Amino acid sequence: MFPDRRPRSFLDPTVLSRLASVPLFARRPMQGNVSGRHPSPHRGSSVEFAEYRKYVPGDDLRRLDWRAYGRSDRFFVKEFEADTNLRCCLVLDTSGSMEFGSEGVPKIEYARKIAAALGHLALQQGDAVGLSCVAKGLVRNIPPRRNPAHLMSLFDVLEEAKPHGETQIVPVLHELAETIRQRALIVIISDLFVEPELLRGCFQHLRFRRHDVAVFHLLDPQEIHFRFRRPMRFLDMEGGPAIFAEPNEIADRYQKALGNYLDGLHQVVLESAVDYHRVTIDENYEQVLMRFLVGRTRARGVR
Amino acid sequence: MSFLQPMLLAALPLVALPIVIHLINQRRYQTMRWAAMMFLLAANRMSRGYARLRQWLIMAFRMLVIATLIFAISRPLAGGWLGLTAGGRADTTIILLDRSPSMTQRSVGGGGSKLETGRRQLVDTLKTVGSSRWVLIESSTNKPRELETIDALLATPSAEATSAASDLPAMLQAARDYIRANKSGQTEIWICSDIRENDWNADSGRWQALRDGFLEFAQGIRFHLLAYPQADPGNLSVRVANVRRQKTAEGAELLLTVRLSREGGSTERLSIPLHFEIGGARSEITVDMASPQFELKDHRIPLERSQERGWGRVSISADANPGDNDAWFVFDQPSPRRAIVVAEEPQTARPLELAAAIAPDPTVQTSAEVVATEQLPTVEWEKISLVLWQAPLPEGKAAQQVRTFIARGGYVLFFPPRTPNGTEFLGARWTTWGDNNKEVPIESWRGDQDLLANTQSGTALPVGQLQVRRFCGLTGEFTPLATLRGGSPLLARVTTDRGGAYFCATTPAVTDSSMASGGVVLYVLVQRASAAGSEALGSTRQLVAGDTSGEDPTQWKRVDGAEDALSTDYPLHGGVYSAGERLLAVNRPTTEDGAKILSDPRVAELFRGLDFTRVDDRAGNISSLIQEIWRLFLIATMVAMLVEAGLCLPKPARAAGVAS
Repeated sequence: MFPDRRPRSFLDPTVLSRLASVPLFARRPMQGNVSGRHPSPHRGSSVEFAEYRKYVPGDDLRRLDWRAYGRSDRFFVKEFEADTNLRCCLVLDTSGSMEFGSEGVPKIEYARKIAAALGHLALQQGDAVGLSCVAKGLVRNIPPRRNPAHLMSLFDVLEEAKPHGETQIVPVLHELAETIRQRALIVIISDLFVEPELLRGCFQHLRFRRHDVAVFHLLDPQEIHFRFRRPMRFLDMEGGPAIFAEPNEIADRYQKALGNYLDGLHQVVLESAVDYHRVTIDENYEQVLMRFLVGRTRARGVR
Repeated sequence: MSFLQPMLLAALPLVALPIVIHLINQRRYQTMRWAAMMFLLAANRMSRGYARLRQWLIMAFRMLVIATLIFAISRPLAGGWLGLTAGGRADTTIILLDRSPSMTQRSVGGGGSKLETGRRQLVDTLKTVGSSRWVLIESSTNKPRELETIDALLATPSAEATSAASDLPAMLQAARDYIRANKSGQTEIWICSDIRENDWNADSGRWQALRDGFLEFAQGIRFHLLAYPQADPGNLSVRVANVRRQKTAEGAELLLTVRLSREGGSTERLSIPLHFEIGGARSEITVDMASPQFELKDHRIPLERSQERGWGRVSISADANPGDNDAWFVFDQPSPRRAIVVAEEPQTARPLELAAAIAPDPTVQTSAEVVATEQLPTVEWEKISLVLWQAPLPEGKAAQQVRTFIARGGYVLFFPPRTPNGTEFLGARWTTWGDNNKEVPIESWRGDQDLLANTQSGTALPVGQLQVRRFCGLTGEFTPLATLRGGSPLLARVTTDRGGAYFCATTPAVTDSSMASGGVVLYVLVQRASAAGSEALGSTRQLVAGDTSGEDPTQWKRVDGAEDALSTDYPLHGGVYSAGERLLAVNRPTTEDGAKILSDPRVAELFRGLDFTRVDDRAGNISSLIQEIWRLFLIATMVAMLVEAGLCLPKPARAAGVAS
């Protein structure tokens, strides 16, 4: 598969081969450059009838529906749906918090696996794939391309991505919403440690730009359960102030804060029609991706 | 609250253990790099309200668990003995037990006398408190006696009530001597008494010496007074003030003077039945009593003509104190009063002989005989009641005979010889005659007791009218009964175990004094001494309980009273006893009747400067003075542990809901 390349830690060929059986669909019409397997907002030459349209001078006479003329003595042009490819933009959070992993695997590694698998799947079916690494700003940005050689450079970037610095995902998402051409699939892989209300603006901005937004929200089991026995001094992985806490004392309020956050985020993704997947990083990423792909198959976009 | 193991309270700082562990735990924190800081910051911003309160409560209950556990193992006591054993377990515990008759007073509701209640309370309390050695000093002997266990206090006959008065200073003196002799360690002295004035002698100078003595001990002596100060105003006591037999036309009769005393001084009119028992024959009269004191004077009870001697008892109905409801007496024909006069001068011998020979009462036989010193060996000493001695003090064999006579109960009245030779007798000796040409007035004399006491009607003897022209000096150890101006004794008494030895510093000779011409004082003096001396000759005797002077109690046999008493304790119990041919009546001391109770400040004053605690109990009290309450503390410990565990229980995990 990658004869001249060294093996990547985040790539598992067996997983990729299993995932390849399920195509990656967009939930809404995409605007690609070439023909593909995704619905396009434009009429095209597929076999799928779309509508009749009155003939206007200049239309290709080959498309006139002579039978309709025979019945109505009027000229109608028969139009068909267009199939196109999509542009898949992977947005990878590389802030310091992505380095956290209580069970050996940090979130960034998990995110790499998801990003690499999705990139590979997309490229396999002829879609263009790009990658944006986000930390304090837009750290790396690879525009979407559908060249198979592009995948190698994308993997290189994934491999080189190091978690560092604080999260500034909100301005970066606004920026990407503006810079990426309309109607793209934007996959955000992040721990989303941002206020849900700030994310609401980002998601609505992306939605306004007719992007199909999918989110992989990575959380560590320790972050959810917050089970500690001894007093802890928590050092902020993004350079903020340290906090000393007695877990027994603070656990209740931590859980309450976490619950409020998750409730708020849930509300935001519902209102923003975001394909949201909360993932604890002790889950098998293959199952997560399979669930993602199957879910999209069901919600395949209509024209 | 007090504790049986107060040393364990030193562990109380362990109460801070949860805080220390908490602080140590805080220092043993782990450092962790954490991603989800936004939730921690949000949690910190949230109100800590109940969470913080819960933490504090958990901490407080943990401390409470330790505190109650320490208190429980310190064996806390509930009761009135504040500061009971602050110094820990005693090495020696000395119990001073007041066995006086007033301690037999019972409460209205029953439940035992003061003494019984006090003994039971002491046993209960001291068994709880514990000690290495138990020593009992009871009021009849004032001698320390070690008890094997404190339970013996309930069983020993030495702790039963007696008719004898107590002498608290003497008991404390015995305790002090015991502590000093045995060099005991930490000592506790427990006094069980009804704090009657006559038993405590609060005016005695011995208290100061006792206080000083106890303060000298370095180990520290702790005093505990278990007091029963409740008096019963309705309690009556009966006493036979006088008894005499006289012949009548029908035969003989007994003249009894009975005295009734009411405690509390009430003047309510009462009808009191008096029961008389004479030689087993019983009779009863009812008297009306409308004052605190009542005296039935010369109540006549007919006797058989042939009954010349016998015994009897006067009783009143049962009341609060059964110990003072009986009075015993014995009667006999009056003994003849025989006196001998040993005088070197006839003008002195004659007035003395006359004073001794003239009978004060037709029923009394008196006689006097002048005897020369050389004839003394031929005198029948066993029939003599009085010796009037105006000669150089006896020496050698004569002195021995006179000493034996006094020890038997005889009385001797010494007058100074014309030429004192410096001989000493019974610690006193004549010095020289004064050379005064003027009369020396008498400055003072004891009118309350002894030979110069006032008459029964309260009239003083005309001692002050005596004219003393010459007197002889007297030195030695004696108690002055009359003193001349300038401090020289006129009449003095030397201390003897029994009988009496008096020294009169002048003689009845006209050149020396007016004792012969104004003969009342001399006559009373001689007749009183003669009467007292003749009592020892009689076959009956009235005794005060606890005072067996001149008697041998081992020979006594019980006739009446003292049913439960040991034979060795007969002198301590009121009753009638026979000693060979003689009859002895033993009664409680006069001071026991109507004795007042010492006020609280007075008692506190007696123990001023000493480590002293007091608790007032009442007769018949069945609840313990102290009781251990460690169980309560243990229960409190368990409750505190349960509450702490409840507070520590984690809430139903919300994390599970979040994770889902």
